[in-house]
Amino acid sequence: MDSSLHEVWQAAAGSPFVPTIGKDNQFLVALTLLLLGFSLGGAFALNRSIVNLPALAVPASLALAFGVVYMFCGVGVYV
Amino acid sequence: MKTSVVFSAFLSLLSLASAATTSSDRKTYPSTFRPPQVFKNANLVHIISLEKNYVKESINVLVENIDKSPQNEYYVPFTADQLSRLGGVEVKDRKDGSVGPFVAEAVELDQSDTHYIRIRLPKALAPGAQQALGITYYLLKAYAPRPASIKQEDQQHLAYAFSAYAPSAYATSKQKTDVKFPSSTIAEYTKLPGSGDVARFPQQQGSKLTYGPFDEKPAGASQPVAVRYEFNKPVTHVSRLERDVEVSHWGGNVAFEERYTLHHRGANLSALFNRVKWQQSQYYQPNTWALKELKFPLRAGSADAYYTDVIGNVSTSRFRSGKREALLEVRPRYPVFGGWKYPFTIGWNSDAKSYLRKTPAGGFVLNVPFLEGPRQAEGVEYEQVQVRVILPEGARNVKFHTTIPTQSIASADVEIHRTFLDTIGRTALIIQARNLVDELRDRELLVSYDYPLSASLRKPLVVFASAMAVFFAAWVVGRVELKFDVAGKK
Repeated sequence: MDSSLHEVWQAAAGSPFVPTIGKDNQFLVALTLLLLGFSLGGAFALNRSIVNLPALAVPASLALAFGVVYMFCGVGVYV
Repeated sequence: MKTSVVFSAFLSLLSLASAATTSSDRKTYPSTFRPPQVFKNANLVHIISLEKNYVKESINVLVENIDKSPQNEYYVPFTADQLSRLGGVEVKDRKDGSVGPFVAEAVELDQSDTHYIRIRLPKALAPGAQQALGITYYLLKAYAPRPASIKQEDQQHLAYAFSAYAPSAYATSKQKTDVKFPSSTIAEYTKLPGSGDVARFPQQQGSKLTYGPFDEKPAGASQPVAVRYEFNKPVTHVSRLERDVEVSHWGGNVAFEERYTLHHRGANLSALFNRVKWQQSQYYQPNTWALKELKFPLRAGSADAYYTDVIGNVSTSRFRSGKREALLEVRPRYPVFGGWKYPFTIGWNSDAKSYLRKTPAGGFVLNVPFLEGPRQAEGVEYEQVQVRVILPEGARNVKFHTTIPTQSIASADVEIHRTFLDTIGRTALIIQARNLVDELRDRELLVSYDYPLSASLRKPLVVFASAMAVFFAAWVVGRVELKFDVAGKK
């Protein structure tokens, strides 16, 4: 046990943890990102080329990645 | 990629192992051990409170060093049975509140029925000097219902046996024992011959009995007495409480879940439960020894409360969340009588900003209550408590501090907990405590940890890599030529 933690807690009084996206907006952000991700993914599926891998697949994957994480949070499974 | 994940997982495990803290205050001594007779109790007041469904004992003692050298170890004896039910031992200086609480640790003797709690005085007591100690502790599973079986509409009585002389490893010059009851209805109690001006012990003043004052008694002196009194409230005993606190940085949430295994240790029903009588008694005699409601005061801002048991959701609950406080009121599926059991689960969410702060050094510090059980007039006792603080995946350098008495902490370890979207698993601080009571609710549990940005990006990176793998595979598969090469076309 570390008894100095109480002082650490008091010293950090001015900086409560605030998430990047607040709870109220998580579902909307997640839905937007997932729709964007699936749209870009669909566009890539229609025209699969080496050029479209960085042009469409990478942004689609990024949108899906953050969209999935925020969708988990948005529906109440706080990961 | 796989190699780096495995390597980082191994590194995380190494850092967890170094951060793991295991506390064990128990020491075993040979059965021949006896505390050195270096102290004398100049004056001792023993207060036994039977007002709740656990026993709270306070020993206020003026100790005097009768040795020729300074001494700093004071022992309090307990039987093996008492020690297994003993919790929340706290020792303070009665005259100087700024000192303490003092270190109190169990000293177990090999193959002996007598064990000790050793109190370390922060400053050794000089020869001939005196110090006023305030020793408080709780005893769980202390009562026996007498009669053991009663009718549904009867009043419940409990019996408790103890010693009229306070447990002491030293000679005591003067002492008395006050016993406080929940009401003045004391059905039976042991009578002792008085001394001095008092013809007979105990003396009753309202809901209090006083045995003593007694004159000089030797070390280990005992005078068994027993009391039986009305206690028409539930004897609520939680044999195991599993409390999870799950921190989410992505969601900005701290989720709480508590799983109770609740027993009623009061009188059993002498006949089958009668629902009609029960409903009638709710109108003309609502005061009952059956457990019918639990109230959980939660912090302001708590939301999404749920209440389930082995069947599923229990609809007989009410949750009110206001600006100042939140209250979860739950009613079990059935009134819980003596000998009955009711396991259930409750949970709720809170904003992380109320519990989590970012330290100037770049780490995080979490401050949550160690225990948040129901607040009942009759009290609640907890035999085993497991508090599991589930930190984000990749959190490391975990340290903790709690204001729960150290004697009640059995162990603390850092382990891995795996759940949704995890790759290496989340860091979980698991603290096992025993013999706690509801008076210790809202004691703090502080946990500090480091959580680098690379660890926080692990989840989206894993999804990103998976999605990219699918797109890349789709592109590769699309380039495979599936048609037969027709040679005749040339």
